[in-house]
Amino acid sequence: MFTDYRPSKGYDEYFSASEEPRSALQPLLSSLGALGLEQLNRNHAAAGMLLKRLGATFRLNDSGKRGGERILPFDPLPRLIGASDWDLLQRGLIQRLEAIDLFLADVYGDQAILRDGVIPREDVETSQGWRPQLRGFRPPLGKWCQISGLDLIRDGLGTWRVLEDNLRCPSGVAYFLENRRVMKRMFPSLFSGRTVQPIDSYPSQLLQTLRDLAPWTEAPRVVLLTPGVFNSAYFEHSYLAQQMGISLVEGRDLACQDGRVWMRTTQGLEPVDVIYRRIDDDFLDPAVFRADSMLGVRGLMEVYAQGRVAIANAPGTGVADDKLIYAYVPEMVRYYLGEEPIIENVPTYLCSRPDDQAYVLAHLNELVVKAVSEAGGYGMLIGPHASQAEILEFAEKIKADPRNFIAQPTLELSTVPSLSEGELYPCHVDLRPYVLRGKDAWVTPGGLTRVALKRGSLVVNSSQGGGCKDTWIVEESAC
Amino acid sequence: MLSRVADSLYWINRYVERAENLSRFVEVSEAMALDCPPGSAEPWQPLIDASGDRELFDQLYPGGGPDQVVEFLVKAEANPSSIVNCIALARENARQIRDVITTEMWEQINDLYWTLLESDSFWHQPPQEQLREIRRGCQLFYGITDATLSRDLSWQFSRLGRLIERADKTTRILDVKYFLLLPSPEEVGGVLDELQWISLLRTAGAYQMFRQSQQGVITPRAVAAFLLLDPSFPRSVRYCLDRIHETLQVVAASPVPGNPDALECLSGLTRARWSYTGIDELIAGGLHEAIDALQQDLNNLHELIHARYFVLPSLAAAEEPAAVPPAQASVSVTATSHDLACAPA
Repeated sequence: MFTDYRPSKGYDEYFSASEEPRSALQPLLSSLGALGLEQLNRNHAAAGMLLKRLGATFRLNDSGKRGGERILPFDPLPRLIGASDWDLLQRGLIQRLEAIDLFLADVYGDQAILRDGVIPREDVETSQGWRPQLRGFRPPLGKWCQISGLDLIRDGLGTWRVLEDNLRCPSGVAYFLENRRVMKRMFPSLFSGRTVQPIDSYPSQLLQTLRDLAPWTEAPRVVLLTPGVFNSAYFEHSYLAQQMGISLVEGRDLACQDGRVWMRTTQGLEPVDVIYRRIDDDFLDPAVFRADSMLGVRGLMEVYAQGRVAIANAPGTGVADDKLIYAYVPEMVRYYLGEEPIIENVPTYLCSRPDDQAYVLAHLNELVVKAVSEAGGYGMLIGPHASQAEILEFAEKIKADPRNFIAQPTLELSTVPSLSEGELYPCHVDLRPYVLRGKDAWVTPGGLTRVALKRGSLVVNSSQGGGCKDTWIVEESAC
Repeated sequence: MLSRVADSLYWINRYVERAENLSRFVEVSEAMALDCPPGSAEPWQPLIDASGDRELFDQLYPGGGPDQVVEFLVKAEANPSSIVNCIALARENARQIRDVITTEMWEQINDLYWTLLESDSFWHQPPQEQLREIRRGCQLFYGITDATLSRDLSWQFSRLGRLIERADKTTRILDVKYFLLLPSPEEVGGVLDELQWISLLRTAGAYQMFRQSQQGVITPRAVAAFLLLDPSFPRSVRYCLDRIHETLQVVAASPVPGNPDALECLSGLTRARWSYTGIDELIAGGLHEAIDALQQDLNNLHELIHARYFVLPSLAAAEEPAAVPPAQASVSVTATSHDLACAPA
């Protein structure tokens, strides 16, 4: 089955540089061989249909037109990670989030890290995620990021690195859960002969995390606040609400009165204790943030400030997932925890620093440049793939607004064999594990592996033709 | 339960019930058309009148024949009440409240939706097979609902939507066909084309139960009595009104209202009006007028249910920006007796 497969020049997770299968892959490769490429393609098409019928779809546009929905492309070849590697990564993720949380408490509190000059005050206060309204606020349990999804990659040598911290409303966890369900249903034979760490406890863990936030009641009423059915992540919102058995609400279903948040029900108003919000800070409360928001709840922040409702994640976390602030996270780990970071960053040049900027401008054709205010793979320049005109355009943009740009070396992301145009092709992948932090911290076993299904593409974002894979944490070392 | 959720549950069931009824109308007519002389307008035109969409049909298909009628009722995107649109709207409402309905319910309605939307093989079947499959898809949805959904408020609002739609559809079929088959009122009880009456009963899904209930000849009087007043046939008007009344009492949690509000009054009065009467009395007083009044009452019931349970309590409304869209802004349910109520998704 793999006779025509040529691993990429970088790090292939199935095959070593000498094109020998990695030892932990042996059982899977023989199961795949027994299945055959033809059957794999057939089941792959059926898996797509299944996802559609399960409703694991997102809207392409908000027209609400018949049929304007599609699934996140699903690739059937799983990605394997050894349990011991995973233990280390888990510790690294928890360490990183602990430091980030201390940073958030600090910048919205005493601002010691700014006074000590570890991070320039200006870089924090010019961040689009900075919410001065939160100064002096202390969230429930003193924690800011209850639900995070960090993007990890493996570089050309196979070293794991953090590419991005998603600390606001990271999405994709429903695909992570549904992919496993589809794999088990469509490709049961691939699981034979080994134990893959189960992932089904995520909804329970998430519910517990949310319940932890309302210490004032024995029976907290938890809701998930969605922007509504036209949001591209709506499937995930309804899926999670259903899995946890909590109400899925829109802003218009809630109201603030007498210092509490209420749900409007057929039997009158019912109190709400915890809001898992899947809308951005800006839209939470028109009285405090964007006045034109139609998605939020007027008066919510006032109730929140009085500690009579919990919001996860806390408003204001966006300042820490700014792509510029990202560069300082290893410093935060050292500053707050006195430890060395377990997982390294990708080396990052900050265009707001004159030396870095000069280097970046001189090496645009080798670097990846990212606008810190953009997400979803937009606002990006991939130097080696860019035209001269694009490079010149970016140079101008950087000079005009240096704060808005960072640059990183173009990484040869690791590859995993994937079905591309009916054949096996080494496609680049990243990994988004989800970290829950209530009273305890918990990391999903594995995470959502996103894969750039377009041949040669380095962009894994679903908005740019990316898909996803099931991720297996297995006992033996996969490296 | 969230008002918005109750609204969606109610509409999912109205739309599925509507699609099911429509598919049965067309399915029976397809079979009947084969018994009619070629090119005959019958039995197609009454379908348009029964669905209350005559004006829209004439506008979309001036002088349209049988093919256009079927196209209009089954697939037409421009007809908000076409079967495909009903399923799309039911599915859209279900999508909005997937957290409340069971996964199996969701999968069934979603499956039906994608089948109608994308399956080539589906539309290559003979028409009656298509319609049978749609009807069974709707019935499977009810069955799954019955077997998987807790009997809490979500169940009650689902049932309410289904019953109101069903009562409305049964009366429409009877109204249109009855007078078509009886060209002048004097002929009531007169000449009988048994085939036509059988088809009417089939269209209402009532043929077998009617036969079982009375082993006589099929008379218009008996058909009307069965469809309107039978206490145990689940598609009869009386049965639906009884269950609507019960359901509203459960929802209001006040079985013996001291001071009944407008909704309770209307539900109780309508139920009484169709329980304590006989078919001869109805025919003497004018069957068409009685049915018209009933349809008006059903629309008013809907309006009152909507106002009481689905419109969000107006707490703090004054503070909210005017731009906040009301829930399902265009739940443009008109009270005119021949407009089909329809909600957006």
